[in-house]
Amino acid sequence: MPSKAGRRFMIGLDVGSTTAKIVRIVDGEIEYQITGTHNWKELVKGVKKEDIISTGYFRHSVPHRASVTEITAAQFGVKHYFPEAEVIVDIGGQDTKVIDVKSNNFIINDRCSAGTGAFLEFVANYFKLELNEIGTLHFQAKRIPDINNTCGVFAISEMISQLVAGYSKEEVIAGMHYAFARRISFMIPETETIVLIGGTVKNEGMVSALRDILKKDILMPPEPQIVNALGALKYYS
Amino acid sequence: MHRAHVSKIGMTALVPPELIFACAGEPFDVNNIIPASKNYPKNKLCAWTAIWREMLVKREIKIDSLIVVAGGDCHNALVDGQKAAMSGIPTHFFFYPFDGDVQYLESQLHKLSSFLGNIEYPEKFRDVKALKKLGRKIDNKRLNGKISSSEAFRILVSFSDLMGDLDRFRNALDIKEGNIALNNRVALIGVPPIYHDFHEAAQSLDLQIVFDELPYEFVRHSGDDINEVALDYCNYTFARSLDFRIEFLQKELEKRKVEGVIHYTQFACHHVLEDEILRAKLDYPMLTIQGDLPGKTPQQIKLRLEAFREVLERS
Ligand code: SF4
Repeated sequence: MPSKAGRRFMIGLDVGSTTAKIVRIVDGEIEYQITGTHNWKELVKGVKKEDIISTGYFRHSVPHRASVTEITAAQFGVKHYFPEAEVIVDIGGQDTKVIDVKSNNFIINDRCSAGTGAFLEFVANYFKLELNEIGTLHFQAKRIPDINNTCGVFAISEMISQLVAGYSKEEVIAGMHYAFARRISFMIPETETIVLIGGTVKNEGMVSALRDILKKDILMPPEPQIVNALGALKYYS
Repeated sequence: MHRAHVSKIGMTALVPPELIFACAGEPFDVNNIIPASKNYPKNKLCAWTAIWREMLVKREIKIDSLIVVAGGDCHNALVDGQKAAMSGIPTHFFFYPFDGDVQYLESQLHKLSSFLGNIEYPEKFRDVKALKKLGRKIDNKRLNGKISSSEAFRILVSFSDLMGDLDRFRNALDIKEGNIALNNRVALIGVPPIYHDFHEAAQSLDLQIVFDELPYEFVRHSGDDINEVALDYCNYTFARSLDFRIEFLQKELEKRKVEGVIHYTQFACHHVLEDEILRAKLDYPMLTIQGDLPGKTPQQIKLRLEAFREVLERS
């Protein structure tokens, strides 16, 4: 992909625990591709090592000229869209990172699935649905059951009890989005605006629950999943 | 005058080792074997205390008696120490004063001395004092890039029991000097990490640890007799109030020109609660990490260290 019409481009390559993404900037336009982590090699076919700036969990294992942690890459990537960003929340498949740009501080939850994309994946799997489908069903809920457990496994049993108690599928899904959003909100510092990035934030139901709980301005780049790959590229240049 | 048997005296946290040597005992800090241990204890809160408790109860650590630091340390140690005592190990409970009361500490040291069979070799106080002076020199050499942080840490941390043998320990202090580039100077505060290669991991990510808070306490205090020991050890920062400890830290961090602070916390340890106060009072970029079980430094911790280095490089 980098040698388009004979031209060479630097690329940002983000290989995370579930997906791999690459970004390059061609004539000022951001171009990107996303695939499963196991297919990462396809993204860099024909790309020279010297043209790759890597980030993500596997940043050291893939070929690269320079590498940067996801935490720094996120800040550079977000700056491209929102130069004034104060707090970045990156919700990935296996972990969630909250970066306080002002105080140069970050918190990572990677010890427990409850506040990561894996939690919503459980929910989607339970109903044999895709992640974006549960995001849409959320808006059909008429009432929202209280789901108090923040542990992923216990929350699933609580969800089943609510189904037995008569709540609809849409309603318990919304309840789970609220439980998830509450869990994330504990990690977020005082701020006026929050930028959300990462694959999980494409779930609109979850974002709406988070907006409702935090009562803050929530900003999202057009493609939240590629921000770190873009950031790696920006970091280098 | 030689004793046929030198008693091996286990200790759960800092207890003046000079007094144990003077009472003809061989101090043994039970924490020193935890980072390399493969023990996964049952009924655990903090892995440090749970592992030594389990090993003591199963007699996998061979000691003649045990000193549990009860006041000025933690309640996990106090409970696990009592479990070890109930298993039949002669145990003494030692209390530091929270308010730094010298007389109180002196009376505690006298009680400890009687438990240990009283002072037999008073010259050991001075021998240990001289070694601690060398320890502070080593700490200073690390500060000036002459000794690696992992090497300095290994030595400073073993000053809690001086390997139970002053001659052997003196020889171990002989280390080759080099020239280490001191980019990204950081302080490591809190209890020491439970990972056996933490300093190496930080070094490999280009973070130079130039201050180890707790191990520095091991070389900072000494005295020629019980009274002097009481006068000095009453300023052992971990036993005192947070204000006292923070004031000490502020001076030390400034003196060492650190660029950032790593606060290590241990899962289920009350020191975790201190994090927000330390963050508010110490005016440095700070990274907080948490460990649980011993072993190699995990990838997730390395990611945080690497990101912290990037933060320091940008600030
Ligand atoms: S780490 Fe904390 S809980 Fe564990 S022994 Fe030390 S002070 Fe006690």
